[in-house]
Amino acid sequence: MKATAALATALPEGQAPRSPRWRPALRQTLIILAPFALFAIFLLANGVNPLLLYRAMFVSTFGDLYGFGEVLIKATPFVLTGLAAALPARAGMINVGGEGQLAIGALVSTGFAVFLLGGLPSWLGIPLMLLAGAVGGALWAGVVALLKVKGNLNETITSLLLNYVAAFTVGLFVHGLLKDPESFNWPFSPEINWTLRLPIIDGTRLHVGFVIAIVLALAVWYVLGRTRLGFRIRVLGGNRLAAERAGMNVSRMQLWVLIAAGALAGIAGMIEIAGIEGRLRPSTGVNYGYLGFLAAWMAWNKPLRLLLTAFVLGMISVAGNSLEIGSGLPSSSVHILMALVLFFLLGSGAGRKVKT
Amino acid sequence: MNDSERDNSTAGREGTAASAAPCLLETRGLTKRFGALVASRAIDLQVRAGEIHAILGENGAGKSTLMKMLYGVYVPDEGELRMDGELAVLHPPAKARARGIGMVFQDFRLVPAMTVLDNIALSSSEGGWRMRRKALHRRILDVSAKYGLSVDPEAEVWQLDLGQRQRLEIVKVLLAHGTRIIIFDEPTSVLVPQEVVAFLEMLRRLRADGYGILLITHKIDEVMACADRATVLRSGAVTYAATREEGGLERESLIRAMMGDKELRAVVKARRGPGTEGVAAVIEAGAEASDVANGGEAPGRTRADHGSAALSPIGKTMLAVKGGLIRGNHGEVVLRELELELPRGAITGVAGISGNGQRELAETLFGLRELAGGTLTVGGRRLRGGVRAFMDAGVSFVSEDPLKESVIPGFSILEHMVLDGLAPQPKGTGIDWKAARTELDASEAAAALALASAERRADTLSGGNVQRMVLTRALLRRPDILIISYPSRGLDIGTTRTIQQQLVALAEQGTAVLLFSEDLGELFKLSDRLVVLAGQRLLGPYAPEDTDVRQIGERMLKGESA
Amino acid sequence: MIADILTGALRSGTSVMLASQGELISERAGVINLGTEGSMLGGALGGFAVTVWTGNPWLGTLAGGLCGLLMSLIHAFLVITCGANQLATGLTLMFFGMGVTAFFGRGFVSEQIVGFNPVPIPLLADIPLLGQVLFNHDPLTYLSILLVPLLWLLLFRTRLGVIVRAAGEREEVLLAAGINPQLVRYAAVLAGGFLAGVGGVQLAVAFTHSWVENMVQGRGVVAVALVIFASWKPLRAMLGAYLFGAAQALQLTVQQSGLPISPFFLFMLPYLLTLAALYLVELRQRSRMPEALGRVFTGTSGG
Repeated sequence: MKATAALATALPEGQAPRSPRWRPALRQTLIILAPFALFAIFLLANGVNPLLLYRAMFVSTFGDLYGFGEVLIKATPFVLTGLAAALPARAGMINVGGEGQLAIGALVSTGFAVFLLGGLPSWLGIPLMLLAGAVGGALWAGVVALLKVKGNLNETITSLLLNYVAAFTVGLFVHGLLKDPESFNWPFSPEINWTLRLPIIDGTRLHVGFVIAIVLALAVWYVLGRTRLGFRIRVLGGNRLAAERAGMNVSRMQLWVLIAAGALAGIAGMIEIAGIEGRLRPSTGVNYGYLGFLAAWMAWNKPLRLLLTAFVLGMISVAGNSLEIGSGLPSSSVHILMALVLFFLLGSGAGRKVKT
Repeated sequence: MNDSERDNSTAGREGTAASAAPCLLETRGLTKRFGALVASRAIDLQVRAGEIHAILGENGAGKSTLMKMLYGVYVPDEGELRMDGELAVLHPPAKARARGIGMVFQDFRLVPAMTVLDNIALSSSEGGWRMRRKALHRRILDVSAKYGLSVDPEAEVWQLDLGQRQRLEIVKVLLAHGTRIIIFDEPTSVLVPQEVVAFLEMLRRLRADGYGILLITHKIDEVMACADRATVLRSGAVTYAATREEGGLERESLIRAMMGDKELRAVVKARRGPGTEGVAAVIEAGAEASDVANGGEAPGRTRADHGSAALSPIGKTMLAVKGGLIRGNHGEVVLRELELELPRGAITGVAGISGNGQRELAETLFGLRELAGGTLTVGGRRLRGGVRAFMDAGVSFVSEDPLKESVIPGFSILEHMVLDGLAPQPKGTGIDWKAARTELDASEAAAALALASAERRADTLSGGNVQRMVLTRALLRRPDILIISYPSRGLDIGTTRTIQQQLVALAEQGTAVLLFSEDLGELFKLSDRLVVLAGQRLLGPYAPEDTDVRQIGERMLKGESA
Repeated sequence: MIADILTGALRSGTSVMLASQGELISERAGVINLGTEGSMLGGALGGFAVTVWTGNPWLGTLAGGLCGLLMSLIHAFLVITCGANQLATGLTLMFFGMGVTAFFGRGFVSEQIVGFNPVPIPLLADIPLLGQVLFNHDPLTYLSILLVPLLWLLLFRTRLGVIVRAAGEREEVLLAAGINPQLVRYAAVLAGGFLAGVGGVQLAVAFTHSWVENMVQGRGVVAVALVIFASWKPLRAMLGAYLFGAAQALQLTVQQSGLPISPFFLFMLPYLLTLAALYLVELRQRSRMPEALGRVFTGTSGG
């Protein structure tokens, strides 16, 4: 769709390319299937029957409520970190910092939960913890934003570098200030109070964080598509020069868009703590930021489509767990599948325009 | 190949008969079509060693198509190309170069971030991947000295002015291996008068050294000054060919061949009072003839409509710059001691060779670029701050390159209008698109400019329709001040006229318009006052009635009034 | 102690330095490759594996370089031929590298190799302080130091270098000179991938003598950042890389000395230093980015 749009610009007006209707559909299907075929070769090379594996993936997702819930749990942070990439992308920026923003969000929310919010009732404590996570992520993204606006530094590079700093910051705290005194030297934080844990749907591990993610995706969709603010963000993403010439304060918009993105990723961090882990570990949410970025890319940075791609990535991730358990493949091989999917999408020009 | 010939300052060549010189390149029946359009029609042409061959023609006469066939960019559809009497294939350009054809482009093929030496090394295929810097350095200086092209090998190209860049391009061509024919594409359009004199002198030296020279131009004076042979093109075909020897290089016949019978129609100008003649009249006449052909009416306005002969202040000053200093992207001074006033209800036309600060001036007057010195007042109040402040003060801007600077990919015309133009239409947190649509449909400006359907995606529009869109937008805002750059660049005559009429109407409603244009005819036709950008200064204003194209042209070239 | 840090700066900075020199070539030709991280990982594993199999670290170096080159070939194809977005493609390549090397590297995690070891240069190594800092290194480090002036000569004093730089500035000028800019870019990206691969080899085969999953740990990203910090100049990129190496060496030294500083502070230090350096350079002067690369960042054309 985007590809034809890009083509159309090059053509003289009134000459939209006409081709049989089924051709693009076939092309898209091939683009989606090809990486799985390639990945099958990897699997075969490792003595794993790809068909069995793909079937297991499918079954473990749709086979029962528990499996489905697991996929949704995995998809939840991808939606949020995906939004953290999609929103700036729509404003013409590439934020790869979801990873670090999530980590700091998790860190700050855990810190608040452990030291301040433990005694509060759920209805007050959980929102405050969520806020703490959002603020944490926003602050981390704020560094990127300031470097961009004041120092003219490219946000892609700085947000990537800060991801490593964020990981070490988490390490610093779970080995130090935030270390559980009863952990026998294991690096993790004390468990947060049960009043701060997100409510869970019976029979699964699915928590209300999933609902929060959907609501936020809808909110971003609404803001981008239906409001004056969103209109201006899309103008900025479409053509920065035009935005300047329409009298927009481009720097300020970039600053706030990045900060909002950081808050979204920070919330993902909080949900990981309050919904799943209950305590902060160095491994909390590792790679979720990157996977969210990829989900956003696959969804062409559209919030509603992102729900779908996050779900697909969630499926692959859960399958990744079963890969490790079932066939002795390392879970990192999921990265290969993910990268293959993206290579085909990128090469086909699906995501050629970051912004629209 | 060399010496022997003493050049005179006069144009003619003494001594040897040109036709005796060996013929380097010959075309027979060369034809190129683009769809239904025949861009070149059965062109016969000869380029001889030691001869300057001028190709004359108006814009769109087919000069550049012909050149591109000779330089191997296009493959001719019919006809043959011969070099040294043998059939030759020149496509792609690498082959043309290998056969000794060099081209000095109008828009240079240079890398601004690299040095002169690097740029020359890039194009010279000698030495493979290595580079003999010292040897190359010396050769550059040698060639420069020989032909009076002062070029510093170690200078970085972005620091050079247009004239220097052109000299670099020439050195590049001369240093390329085996160059025998040099094609110059409108070479003097970027030069100031002293440089033109030096340039023609250099051409004569090249001729003396036996190069075959093709000079593409529309300036008859240059042809008269140096050419040995001239071929005139009109509508893709040769309308005139003659040599100096035969006495065929004569001003009147060349003009007639360029213009056809259009010249006879240069009547409208009569109303304009004395002084306007030459190029402007010719351009006017050309436009006139096409207008009639397109079924249009007579042009909307001439000076006489205003009834004021001299430079009379039409209204109070809307925008003024005093002692302004404007810097370019590298911090260099672009304009100094800038004094400019835009009166209400008047069109102030800005003439100047491109690259003399037009872009920087326009951007400064819209808040996109900060004034580095002096004051800028709008409506008597000093204005600082960004675009928003200028917009709030009633300034509108139509930029030089709307496709790049105004069009947002994927957005419809209506969305572009809501962004800037139509008053904001809030509806809750969103935008009331229906109301915006109604307002746009009802607007006179959109109707007058025959704007395409509001749902059309702006990035699928043609250049003309994009121009209509941005102009509609500017008109919708009913600006007090309109800064508009090159409104008719690249547009067909019909669209151009519509846009020109809208500008005039806008001024009549009281807007102060600052019009940048590279078309002197357009400037004379529309402007109430003319200013000229040249040599870091803004000259004028002049009343169009008191001056003429030639005077303005000389100011463009020389800066201080001539 | 200072000698330790300086020695360590070279030893642990060399992998980043090699990668950044490679990235510099690629960026000079107008292609930014965040997949340098993936190329380094590929190089580290490939180099380590071949060294394990053959026992010959030089073969390992060659193999590692080729692994890095193959990785960057994916980037070159997608970006140059398919016109995909450079930043997104590079990032994807980074993941691909992480996944593929983790996948194939499992068997090598506990392997041990001899690899490259410091070879003191006779006489020179005996100079007090300087000898230890400069003349007691593994062969790859020596080679990498030689590489920098060579690269400078290549880029700024040969016609080939002019061609590469022109590809990163104005491709129409190259076209006018009858040179295919796409081909030039392919060559530059592949050369960059090769050097990044060798950087990975230095890390695995000369510096740590081991393979650990995801052992590059962002050095590829730092290499990309350093190129910007260095304003696309080889000598400055080398300095930047040694600065990064020094920060890492400092961490080891401090840990050994038992000072009460959390190691995590020290882990962060190289990245923070890189960021600070970037910021300071950018404040002082709007660095002249190759024009074509500028279009990547502002997205004003193509992809």
